[in-house]
Amino acid sequence: MNRRNRWKWLLTAASFSVGVALIAAACGGGGGNKSTTTSGSTSTSSSAAGKSFAVFRIATDTGTDYLDPGLSYTVEGWGVMWNVYLPLLGYKHVNGPDGATIVPYLAESLPTVSSDGKAYTLTLRKGVKYSDGTPVKASDFKATIERDYKVDSPGVGFFGNIVGAAQYGKTKTGSISGITTNDSTGVITIKLSEPQGDFMNILATEFAAPVPASTPAKDQSTTPAPSTGPYMIQSYTPNKQIVEVRNPNFDASLYGGNVPVGNPDKVVWDVIGDDNVALQRVISGQDDWLGYHPIPPDRLSSVQQKYPDQLKLFTPANTYYFFMNTRVAPFNNLKVRQAVNYAIDREALVRVYGGLAQPTEQVLPPTYPQYKKIDPYPYNLAKAKQLIAQAGVKGMPVTVWNHDRGLDPRATAYLTDVLNSIGLKATQKIVNAAVYWTTVGNQATKAQIGFADWFQDYPHPLDWFDVLLNGERITQTHNNNYANFDDASVNSQIDALKKEPVLDNKANARWASVDKEVMAQAPWAPFLNRQFTDFFYSTVDLSCYENHVLYEFDYSTICMK
Amino acid sequence: MAERATETEFTLDTAAELAAAEEPAAIRGRSPWYLAWRRLRRNYVAFFFLALFILVVVACLLAPVYAKHVAHTGPNTNHVLENVEVNGKETPVLSPGGYIDPHTGKLCPTSESGCKLVASIPIGPTWFSGGGKFVLGADQNGRDVAVRLLYGGRTSLFVGIVSSLICVFFAVILALVAAYYGGWSDFVITRFFDLFYAFPVILLGIALGSALAINGFHHFGLNIQSGSIWIPTLVISYVLIPYIGRPLRGQVLSLREKEFIEASIAQGASPFRVMFVELLPNIASSILVFFTLIIANNIILEAALSFLGAGVQPPTASWGTQIADGQELIVTRPWLSLAPGLAIVITVLSLNIFGDGLRDALDPRAKVKVEH
Repeated sequence: MNRRNRWKWLLTAASFSVGVALIAAACGGGGGNKSTTTSGSTSTSSSAAGKSFAVFRIATDTGTDYLDPGLSYTVEGWGVMWNVYLPLLGYKHVNGPDGATIVPYLAESLPTVSSDGKAYTLTLRKGVKYSDGTPVKASDFKATIERDYKVDSPGVGFFGNIVGAAQYGKTKTGSISGITTNDSTGVITIKLSEPQGDFMNILATEFAAPVPASTPAKDQSTTPAPSTGPYMIQSYTPNKQIVEVRNPNFDASLYGGNVPVGNPDKVVWDVIGDDNVALQRVISGQDDWLGYHPIPPDRLSSVQQKYPDQLKLFTPANTYYFFMNTRVAPFNNLKVRQAVNYAIDREALVRVYGGLAQPTEQVLPPTYPQYKKIDPYPYNLAKAKQLIAQAGVKGMPVTVWNHDRGLDPRATAYLTDVLNSIGLKATQKIVNAAVYWTTVGNQATKAQIGFADWFQDYPHPLDWFDVLLNGERITQTHNNNYANFDDASVNSQIDALKKEPVLDNKANARWASVDKEVMAQAPWAPFLNRQFTDFFYSTVDLSCYENHVLYEFDYSTICMK
Repeated sequence: MAERATETEFTLDTAAELAAAEEPAAIRGRSPWYLAWRRLRRNYVAFFFLALFILVVVACLLAPVYAKHVAHTGPNTNHVLENVEVNGKETPVLSPGGYIDPHTGKLCPTSESGCKLVASIPIGPTWFSGGGKFVLGADQNGRDVAVRLLYGGRTSLFVGIVSSLICVFFAVILALVAAYYGGWSDFVITRFFDLFYAFPVILLGIALGSALAINGFHHFGLNIQSGSIWIPTLVISYVLIPYIGRPLRGQVLSLREKEFIEASIAQGASPFRVMFVELLPNIASSILVFFTLIIANNIILEAALSFLGAGVQPPTASWGTQIADGQELIVTRPWLSLAPGLAIVITVLSLNIFGDGLRDALDPRAKVKVEH
């Protein structure tokens, strides 16, 4: 999934008055109109310990890209939509690792998979309607995938294994032959070119969430398509506000407890650019949840002290790393890549990120069952210098790439200093975040080394190794394998594991082995898994708090004291 | 007013000397520059602020000396995990973050057992109690703020002064050509000025700075890499040309009609000579005042653009980037932003007050000021 967007410079343009504004805000706190009122609880969700919200207000950041399930590819966008547009399959609305369990949403049950692993058959639940009252049809699913191609969805890469999808992507005419549907029975059959172990996860992405076949093939963010989930988007003013209300045609009883009815009657997302302002709004009760904003480091301690019960720390599945382009000197030399790994002091980078992170030296995050901790590159500056000398690249110019948002530029400031200290001649190249990923993902750029992070699209090791490190998936543009890592042994292992239908202990051990093998080749210098905070206004009852492994805070289950 | 050049000693026995002494005193001409200097040197406030500005410049020029012999670090050197001795006590440059045991100060494995969630915070100002290290504290990368302040000053002053030179140079040329030739030349140049006037300077600066920050500038024989300090320098000089060029054009238009210009043309002076020998010296005082004032203006503009990410690129220190770096720690480590902010205030104030004094000295009736 796309990286968290935390750019806020436009709203902090009045830079020289920040201090004054903060003081003023702090002095004037507490006067906000409280948006939550008690109402008769209509909740039937599992966590309806407290009262439901009439209006649950969220101070969100500017990261929401689209509110069109075919186009959105950010944590923020999906965070809004996972209770709005239901896919055929989805994830359990629970805390912890169990949240990675796939359950049927719009489908009656989990798919029947053919013995060769190439055909998936699902049946649509009966009686499911869109928010406008029209019934959901099996053919809508096919139309949705085809619409993804028509709108140039960033998710079309997930469907490339469906028979006929690649051809449809080229012509955008006709239909995808590998998807057949029957509206009268609700049966959907999907044929794949190759077995694919993560295909159920792909069916659970927002890109596969059905919208009516008549939905125009253009961005529908501000004219939202009818929803299937407990909520529908009433209005969306980009960079200002999102308003969700209950879907009048949603019937939670159809889903056997897999989809919550939703505690708040209405959810209002106020887009706030500045972290301090957003925090102040939550402290004063103007908003109930500090959505996706980090608490500014110098206010964390006081927030923890004053509101210890309203603060939650969580670790989503993510890995922050420096990629090293194995096709470009000096990083086409294994010794140089290993030297960088030895030279980085991960503990230092944890502090550079404010301390809310865990150091790592591997690809998979610790939240994965396949994770097996390895320590291949303990900090050793002398060894790093020795490897650089052995590689004969001392004094070679190196450009360190990064974008300009959030705390991430600090990481490359650190890396640049480290590279200079081991004998390379490093300079930074900071690019606007809006174009950074396409720039470093373009082979013409020949980016030598740079910053990257990854937040899972779905909880499966393929989302890490196949998307980011499979040499067979290297592309000329929009390349996710920034290191251009192409190792025959690793590729074959990924391809073999891709066909595994189940992630059992044996498969998990094999994935752990791939992790180790990749790091032996050091195409990355992974350095940390970041932690984040959720902060709530004092009236929010956190006994209802649920943080999902993929979608993070679940606003549909939250309740009031 | 003319005054006697020398006092003659009166002696009765020298008739020639007596005669010479009785002759009317010679009246010596005083150039406008001399008169201006006499007016300026009586303006002690302007001189005080000139001295202050020179002090800032000298301090910034001595940044490498301070870095090497006092702070013992470079402007981009990270000291994240190091400790510094402050008043005999070892203090981490960046405190550890995460769940910390409030009694031992060590990391806790979990959030339980009374541990507190804290963020890593850099050390505050040591005010020379740390042996010259981290006098103004450290930033989030463990870099010495005082060292970066001085290096940042070099950057900001370089951008401010060089962009002013470039801006004034082109503004003068365009003003002279537009006003002297008139007609189509004047029309085209003034429309160019109008076009730039139509955009707020800061927005135009952001647009150009952001666009050039990606790929640099590779046109007209110029090959400037992205991240180069020349990008904000050229952007700032470019966007401000009309703000100098337009008032100068007005002055040249007025001078163009004077008799001495007509006489010069009648004597067969070339346009080049008229523009640069006759007209230019007559607007020199305005140019000098504009130049002084626009340096201050450009330092502020550089700081604003760098703060917004469209100016000087990290890790190069500039006062604008330092303010941006410090904004997240404005509550607990205000010096991160305050120090460069004060440096900007002192520099800009000193330049503005000196510029005002210079304007008053050169032409007390003039109303030269930079507005946008």
